[in-house]
Amino acid sequence: MNAHRSVGIVMIEDDEGHARLIEKNIRRAGIMNEIRHFTDGGQALHHLFEAEDGPAKGGPALVLLDLNLPDMSGTDILAQIKAEDSPLKRTPVVVLTTTDDKVEIERCYDLGCNVYITKPVNYESFAQAIRQLGLFLSVIQVPEVEEH
Amino acid sequence: MIATIRNHFVVSEGRFGRVLVSFMALGFLALVAAGIAAGWATGRNEAHTRSVNHTYEVELAIGTARRLIEQGEASRRGYLLTGNREYRDAYDRWTVALPDALHRMQLLTRDNPRQVDTLIQLHRDIAALLAQRTRTIAMVDAGQDDAAVASFRGETSVRRMMGIRSAFDRMATEERRLLARRDEAQRASVRAFYAILALAAVLLILVAIASLLTVMRYTRDLAASRDDLRDFNDRLEETVHERTADLSRANEEIQRFAYIVSHDLRSPLVNVMGFTAELAAATAPLGELLDRAEAQCPQIVGEEARLAVREDLPEAIGFIRTSTQKMDRLINAILKLSREGRRVITPEPIDVAAVVDTIAGSMRHLLDERGVALDVARPVPGLVTDRVAIEQILSNLIENATKYLQPGRPGEITVSGEERRDRVIVAVADNGRGIAAADHQRIFDLFRRSGTQDQPGEGIGLAHVRALAYRLGGTIDVDSELGRGSTFRLNLPKTYAQQDSQP
Repeated sequence: MNAHRSVGIVMIEDDEGHARLIEKNIRRAGIMNEIRHFTDGGQALHHLFEAEDGPAKGGPALVLLDLNLPDMSGTDILAQIKAEDSPLKRTPVVVLTTTDDKVEIERCYDLGCNVYITKPVNYESFAQAIRQLGLFLSVIQVPEVEEH
Repeated sequence: MIATIRNHFVVSEGRFGRVLVSFMALGFLALVAAGIAAGWATGRNEAHTRSVNHTYEVELAIGTARRLIEQGEASRRGYLLTGNREYRDAYDRWTVALPDALHRMQLLTRDNPRQVDTLIQLHRDIAALLAQRTRTIAMVDAGQDDAAVASFRGETSVRRMMGIRSAFDRMATEERRLLARRDEAQRASVRAFYAILALAAVLLILVAIASLLTVMRYTRDLAASRDDLRDFNDRLEETVHERTADLSRANEEIQRFAYIVSHDLRSPLVNVMGFTAELAAATAPLGELLDRAEAQCPQIVGEEARLAVREDLPEAIGFIRTSTQKMDRLINAILKLSREGRRVITPEPIDVAAVVDTIAGSMRHLLDERGVALDVARPVPGLVTDRVAIEQILSNLIENATKYLQPGRPGEITVSGEERRDRVIVAVADNGRGIAAADHQRIFDLFRRSGTQDQPGEGIGLAHVRALAYRLGGTIDVDSELGRGSTFRLNLPKTYAQQDSQP
């Protein structure tokens, strides 16, 4: 990832177990960037747009987004990030969820999601997918957030 | 409700028919009565005419006899006074004709005892009169004119003549009386005829009115029940629409539920499987540690710790793994079913035989390996339905048939089809091990299987087949006997009809 400034990873995932497994496997892929984990949409949005050290005010970021959240749908968060007047509209969003519904996948890409990954139930495949995502994250270029 | 309406119709129709027939019978009866009355009246009339004629004849006969007697008397007196032969000849003529006239009177009146009595009296008087006359005439013939005139003067013939006249009058009066009585009878019978006629007319009018009323009421009933039927039909259609909507709503609800549940079950399953894998990974360094400990200072390794690391942990992890894998397969099956229910059906003309050929091609290896012969009894009627669904149904059924063979008997599978009105029945028959009757319904339920569990599978195939058959507006059932084979019958509409509520 961008060398001059550390890219924070914002993980929005309501399942603690999943979060832990994702983090473990990302670390195993050798990605040592900071990972901020949020279990609900409200806190995550606050961090993304309002917090002093959040992506909108602070440095560049990459969002790992689960669609099934307790307080709101992941697609709502996606829509807010990718909105026309959003400071984070160029922030890469990786949707990482158990949903493999065709309609839902199409909707996420329509809203501007950059990558859509279905969590495989089989753990070997899951670990493999996350590690590959980690490799992907290690080469991806993330744009600077525009200051308003 | 339909049955009630139909009954209502039948009952009223039968009653209507009976009522109408009895009215018509009554009408005919009235007509027949009128006819008989007319015949009777005519007969009476003829009899009356005959009796009037008879009376006139009797009167004529009485008149003739009376005239002959009066003229005979007048001629006798003329001869008596003048001695002229012409009076004598005339007298002979009248006297000769008299017996005939009397005889005719007797013939005409012999049925009336009063006339007969009078006539006997008359005969006696006339005989006496004639004897008297013959005597006086004989006196004149013999030239004893004075004696004859004296005898005439002394004779009581005036009184006798008056008696004879009154007898004739009595007879005439008697005939008149009879005539009057007959006239009275005739008038009575005419009155009776008119009365019967009037009665028949009234009856006919009543029958006509009653028939008219019945017909009108029946027509009204008919119209009412037709309206009822139409209303009922409308309501029925409405109800069917409502029910169909309810049903598809419920169906959608169940599918959404199945989808959400299976989906949400996946999340924890990821954790269970993930952390089990982590646990399995963690047992490796633990095992190494144990190995090292046993090698370097075996006294610190207890039997329990050794068992826990070497046996209990791997065993527990193994069970968790196989169970979660199975659970994953089941959840996927439910997901697949629910997804199948949401798939859009695209009807197109299908050649079932060609579909079976394609399936046979893709299963060639399997069929050869298991030594199963697959035949299609051509021709199979064509149908318009969803290709993917029909392919999945048939390949599931054929694959099942290859799986459950009767040991020691080469498998034979026959696919056939027949058309029944707007339905097509596709049958997949095999000579396999068969299904116990108790399981004929059960095998179509999700995760349920029948017979010896010697084949891999989760009990999903037939549930899937049934869901697909329902989806295509069809049904599926099985006819099977243990050890003989099974026949699965897929009953599909010839042309798939899109239901309103389908997405």
